[in-house]
Amino acid sequence: MTSPWVSDVLLAAAGAFILYAVVLLYRVVAGPTMQDRVIAVNVVGTNTVVVLALLSVALEETSFLDIALVYALLNFLMSIAISKFTVERGGVI
Amino acid sequence: MAPTPVEAGLLVVILGSALATAVLRDVLGSIIAFSAYSLGVAMLWVVLRAPDVGLTEAAVGAGVMTILLLLTIAKTVRPSEDRVLASFDPKTLVLVAAFVLALGATVPALPAVGSPDAPVVSSEVSQYYLDHAYKDTGVENVVTAVLAAYRGFDTLGEAVVVFTAGVAVVAVLKREVTA
Repeated sequence: MTSPWVSDVLLAAAGAFILYAVVLLYRVVAGPTMQDRVIAVNVVGTNTVVVLALLSVALEETSFLDIALVYALLNFLMSIAISKFTVERGGVI
Repeated sequence: MAPTPVEAGLLVVILGSALATAVLRDVLGSIIAFSAYSLGVAMLWVVLRAPDVGLTEAAVGAGVMTILLLLTIAKTVRPSEDRVLASFDPKTLVLVAAFVLALGATVPALPAVGSPDAPVVSSEVSQYYLDHAYKDTGVENVVTAVLAAYRGFDTLGEAVVVFTAGVAVVAVLKREVTA
């Protein structure tokens, strides 16, 4: 059981991580290179996993943890796909 | 109903990445911004307690769509200009503004989430299915009963559409590998 105080702190932490994702969007738009963007989106994805884990404890929904795991896998796949694509354009996948 | 700080932050992320997807000149940049958008929407679904939709959004939006779009632009040419942002046709802007206005007028007119006056709660149709679904179909989950039994033919049609799309994707991927 999570006490209300702890769950408030966890929710605030989740809010702070989301704020961080907003800041990262600047890097997605500004670039300047494609690698900057890929890494920015990768960090947004990692952020998603952290936010989901925090929410899962704060709201006492253990099923959120499964979703966090799936996101972690997808995030990895996405970054690999984009990186490989930029390295040898067209010759991959 | 004011959004909580978490929801408000997520909405900013979603709006920001959606705008980035629209204004970035380079298509590869757009695809990357789109996957950020998809992750934001998926998070919002989870916050709104629809984890299954969130999971689908992440798998399809961030996973499958990114790879399919990458496959698509692999065969196209990249614009060589140095501009970061795309330019817009005024007609497009007017059309988008009209669409946003129409949505802005429609959405507040909908009943609030969980409102007891919402037609889906007060309607006798919902009550009929709640009362009869288990007796008629033997399925304990009413949503599943409606989806798989009452409108089974419709669901079969949807499954055919998904299967066809899957076959098409496999065919395209095969060609990519052999070419």
